Amino acid sequence: MRMKTKSNGFHKFSDWFLHKPESGIILILILFVLFATIVNPSFLSYRNVINIFRASGFTLISVVGMSMILIIGGLDLSIGSVYALAALICGMAMTASGLPIPVAILAGLVIGLICGAINGLLVVYTDIPAMIATLGMQYIARGLVSAFSKGVPIYPLPDNFVEIESMKLFGSVPIVVPFSIILAIIAHVILSKTVFGRSVYAIGGNQEAARISGINLRQTKMTIYILMGGLASLAGILMASRLGSAEPSTGAGLEMKVICAAVIGGISVSGGMGTMLGAMLGALFMEALTNSLTVMKISVYWQNVVFGIVLILSVLLDQYKRTMIKRNSVKTS
Amino acid sequence: MKQTVLTVENIIKRFPGTIALKGVSFELYAQEILALAGENGAGKSTLMKILSGIYSHKEYEGKITLNGKECQFSGTAMAENAGIAMIYQELNMELDLSIAENIVLGKYPRTKWGSIDWKQVHIEAEKALSQVGLKLDTNTIVRNLNPSMQQLVSIARALYRKPQVLILDEPTSVLTEGEAKKLMQIICKLRDDGLSCIYISHKLDEIFELCDRTVVFRDGEKISEHRKADGYDSSKLIEDMIGRRLMAMYPSRVEHIGKEVLRIEHFQVPHPFAYGKNMIEDVSFSLRKGEILGLAGLVGAGRSELVSAIFGAMPRNTGRIFLEDKEIQIREPYEAIRYGFGFLSEDRKKNGYIWSMNIRENMTLVNLRSMVKKLFVDAKQEDIVAKEYFRRLEVKAPGLDTMITSLSGGNQQKVILAKWLMSNIRILMLDEPTRGIDVGTKSEIYKLMQELTDNGISIIMISSEMSELLTMCDRIVVLGKGVIQKEFSRGEADEVKLLQAASCT
Repeated sequence: MRMKTKSNGFHKFSDWFLHKPESGIILILILFVLFATIVNPSFLSYRNVINIFRASGFTLISVVGMSMILIIGGLDLSIGSVYALAALICGMAMTASGLPIPVAILAGLVIGLICGAINGLLVVYTDIPAMIATLGMQYIARGLVSAFSKGVPIYPLPDNFVEIESMKLFGSVPIVVPFSIILAIIAHVILSKTVFGRSVYAIGGNQEAARISGINLRQTKMTIYILMGGLASLAGILMASRLGSAEPSTGAGLEMKVICAAVIGGISVSGGMGTMLGAMLGALFMEALTNSLTVMKISVYWQNVVFGIVLILSVLLDQYKRTMIKRNSVKTS
Repeated sequence: MKQTVLTVENIIKRFPGTIALKGVSFELYAQEILALAGENGAGKSTLMKILSGIYSHKEYEGKITLNGKECQFSGTAMAENAGIAMIYQELNMELDLSIAENIVLGKYPRTKWGSIDWKQVHIEAEKALSQVGLKLDTNTIVRNLNPSMQQLVSIARALYRKPQVLILDEPTSVLTEGEAKKLMQIICKLRDDGLSCIYISHKLDEIFELCDRTVVFRDGEKISEHRKADGYDSSKLIEDMIGRRLMAMYPSRVEHIGKEVLRIEHFQVPHPFAYGKNMIEDVSFSLRKGEILGLAGLVGAGRSELVSAIFGAMPRNTGRIFLEDKEIQIREPYEAIRYGFGFLSEDRKKNGYIWSMNIRENMTLVNLRSMVKKLFVDAKQEDIVAKEYFRRLEVKAPGLDTMITSLSGGNQQKVILAKWLMSNIRILMLDEPTRGIDVGTKSEIYKLMQELTDNGISIIMISSEMSELLTMCDRIVVLGKGVIQKEFSRGEADEVKLLQAASCT
């Protein structure tokens, strides 16, 4: 029997905190925005907010894929290289081969999908751990970038291509913002409302139980890894369009940033738990943090220290939450 | 009057929304084996978690006295040092360490330099092993031992810590009957050597044979106490446990057996760990509509591997499957499910349920596809179906949103069963469906099996409990040494014959 408690504010709050999966990141985000606004009143200005959203849009595209990979209990370290490779192939197709822009973009995407498929095949059909398989792919893709470009950026890219990223919605919202948010919403709906999404959570929770319950492990995992490759290449191509150049060094360390955003957003690295909404807020938080640190004139070198601390704190918060849930709902015989 | 070793007074343990223990008191005397009996959820395990220090002294009310001294544990190490050792239901050992290391783990003998004294480690380990009647090479890796050996090693580990009280939680659940007998002899000997034991078991025959005194728990309260000296009355004890008059444990079996549904031919299943060895050499059998077929055999006879291979959960070397005389291909579980197979696995935690999901999601895992409306899962439909089975199987939980990990074993089993019942199965394979489950739930599961066969569903049941096989099954196939040793129809077999066939004598 649940004890009748006064519906005081604190009780309501702790109930919300424990039962809403995204509560940790929402809390962090609100506190952070308050703090950043006090330190720097122009933090919440329209221009700055748009900037933050634009930057997080790029991260978010990869975060969408990475969240699914983490939820299914996998890992993909190759996304930064795939991101660069797709941008490079797309750039080379446009300039050196003189292919039409849509065909070039398609070529970049196909490369990403192929990389994802190879990752998937390795993870699904061999006993190589995902971390090692995708680390190998990271080197291969980055190596291909160096070999094809010989370290020289592809520059300049055609104007029509560069214009894609600078398209604006309602006159001032960069196209990447609605685009990435729509992607995230689609992924959120897939994860929470479809059989496929339920299978992803089930595999991450207990792979063997999921298999015995009739879930096609191989198919589900393959789909997720291919999707990740596609999303990473999409982000890379968009970034090339923004920079007007396909840089060989672009995307280095992207995988860690993306994992960091997903984990801050409440995605469990051991699989089975987390929501797309949380991951989305995680991506937003990462960029808001970068933005305000830069505005506060804290050097890039110190920024990484802050990221590390935030990552550890957010996981601690999540763990604390989980032990609280366990204490409150476990009643063993 | 015997000397009191352990006194437990007025223990109250609250969880939000429920009280697991409502002021429990009992004593444990020197050189005594005390049984704690009760259904799942009666509060036995909670009490043991308090005694072994898993719940710290701040988390409950009441008093624990060991040898006249009040104890306040805030961790298992403290309880161990005070002299309370616990053997858990699920074996928890470091499988890839040697026997010796497992025994001394956390309490290594040291040389005067402070490094581990390996010579002493092996001497101590041998000493501990001899107390449980084992003579083994202490360098053996624990993974290579069979479950009963592992169980004995875990007892040796507890004994190495020189406990005054040894708590055993369902120690025989992974053992065969012969192995369990041996274990019980060892426990008796330990008692005669001066140890006091608390023994938790669902198996009443074990309690009757082994325990000097039995305390019955129900709903967090101590209900009654029975002494071996006064003679145990099993129906009285069961009544106290379940709190209502005991109906017949087994339903009366009504058979309507039809035509052959399933036939498997020449199955050969490789050993999951030992390369080149086969678990099943050559097995063929058939199953008819509405029939309950029992698979008997010792632990390690390959029964689980055989059904797993039929279901596609394990690979097979050879073997053909015929469904209503048509050959079918099954390589993965999802293919088996398409043909109407269901499989309740032996180890709930390992491959039965998904810990990160709640009751509803676990229930609808197999059948979710049928609840899709225009691409999306129809949440309302899912809720209706899950609720129906939640009620029908009388799952004891606050609601469908409760996480499955917070349920007792019997209720978890009901949820997993519901998963198969709601999908269109024709053949259900049950691997030890009543292991570690209380008497009340057991009886419900038997009734359910009868209902299923009434509806024309065929069942293959693996069980290590002879009485279960003998009363529920229409036919029993005994496996041993990778082949079928014998086949009995209903009424032909008895416990002796089954055991003889299983041990290949």
